[in-house]
Amino acid sequence: MEKTDYILINCCLNELQQLVTSLENNYSFQIVKEPSLGLTMIRAEDSVESQEFYLGEALTTDCEVSFGDTTGYGICLGDEPVRAYCIASIDALMQSNLEIPELQNFLTEQEKKISMAEAVEYNQIQRTRVDFKMMEQA
Amino acid sequence: MAYVSVKGGADAIANAKELVEFYRLRKRTQPLEIKQIQSQFRLAIDKVMGEGSLYAPEYAALALKQMEGDVLESAFVLRAYRATLQRRYYSDIISTREMFILRKISSSFREIPGGQVLGPTRDYTQRLIDSTKYNESPEEIDQFLKEFDGKIDREKLVDVNTYNKVIDLLKAEGLLMPAEKSYDKTVKDVTLEAIKFPAPRSVTLQMLARAESGGLMALAYSSMRGFGDGHGTIGELRYGAVKVRITDTKGRKRYIGSINVTECEMITKINTTKESKIPYFAIGYGLVFGQNETKAICMSILERGIRSGKKENPSNNQEFVLYHTEGVEAMGFTNHLKLPHYVTFQSGLNNVRESVKRNQEETEDKMKVYKELAKQQQQ
Repeated sequence: MEKTDYILINCCLNELQQLVTSLENNYSFQIVKEPSLGLTMIRAEDSVESQEFYLGEALTTDCEVSFGDTTGYGICLGDEPVRAYCIASIDALMQSNLEIPELQNFLTEQEKKISMAEAVEYNQIQRTRVDFKMMEQA
Repeated sequence: MAYVSVKGGADAIANAKELVEFYRLRKRTQPLEIKQIQSQFRLAIDKVMGEGSLYAPEYAALALKQMEGDVLESAFVLRAYRATLQRRYYSDIISTREMFILRKISSSFREIPGGQVLGPTRDYTQRLIDSTKYNESPEEIDQFLKEFDGKIDREKLVDVNTYNKVIDLLKAEGLLMPAEKSYDKTVKDVTLEAIKFPAPRSVTLQMLARAESGGLMALAYSSMRGFGDGHGTIGELRYGAVKVRITDTKGRKRYIGSINVTECEMITKINTTKESKIPYFAIGYGLVFGQNETKAICMSILERGIRSGKKENPSNNQEFVLYHTEGVEAMGFTNHLKLPHYVTFQSGLNNVRESVKRNQEETEDKMKVYKELAKQQQQ
């Protein structure tokens, strides 16, 4: 579940929208709850004594879509009505356990793209890694 | 002195609002795009989100545009916007241990797990104005990004990693202060209930996380200069992206995105006390939205100071620190001074006039007596 969410949250929005538009031709989705804005309270804790506290809220979009008897939920940070709708539609489809190669291919392809983008960014950041030496070691 | 309600002036107020827009737009420059502000004013947005207590980069950018770059006013707008929305979810506790690290440094240890990663920082560069930015062209930006991208070999990428924390080293050695059993661990939400002092630690942490950066710095600086708990050492300062997860209506754990946060663990040495004969280190904790290192550092200093129990210094006094670093309230109170205080001021004015008049009359009476006496002596 987390892996799919991670891909759908971080993938290119245009490509996700194209996929869902294409899926809509074969599968009938009904919007149960239009995408709307709300808040998520972010819970945090200090790293030594694990004292829990509220860090602040984050803007969140959520949406509910049904496919047959199943309801899919799309929830994501930010003002993202299209993404929330797409995630909800895919969530509804995935719960129906149908084999949808188009969707699987999309997830596989996007996962590779996201991993590559993260690896590139990470490697750029690692270029700033330093090894401070004491003056007498120089 | 309190302010009073007045009526009238609706036209002037509407015209003043229009005039503000006129001064924002009169030069007929290209309208700022939200995406531009979002990407190029990253640090201002982080401040607005932190002080507005709402993680919403797009809306923080919009607020900055609306408020002509005033961070405090933008944070005010964001808090007001937040008040219009329903809270639908509570996240799982975010884990900074699984952070996608953009930067992590320690000033306590030279060698830390995964090494010191400077990340995006201007810490080691001179603050000289860069005139090349004056006429930056899209072509130059493309050129920079192309060259930057070419600096790594995509065939030889190292895997993304997460790192243990520096404080875990101290913890493993048994050098950290044992967890205090006596303090109030209740988790309260200052947005839902009024604060009473002494407040639980969760309130301190929440209020410091949403406090005004400059206010925190002023008080933390006073502490470092000697009017407080002293000069700590940064055990670890890390900045990066953490995952946010919630539980959906069906009870399933869902990943809903990541937020960038700055975390600071400040190490301070605690000497022996009546209860403990062994010296140890204690940690002050700071965690804020976005990349706002000064704020996270100051939060950790003040958080430790408040826990020290030494209230003789303002920076160690929970009520003093939390009430006076609450930027939106402080700004609101300061700016209320501009509101009509006519009746109360007039009342004060009347009192002063009466006193002056009374004093003059008394002086005149005394003068009359002196003059009479002087006259009598002359005769």
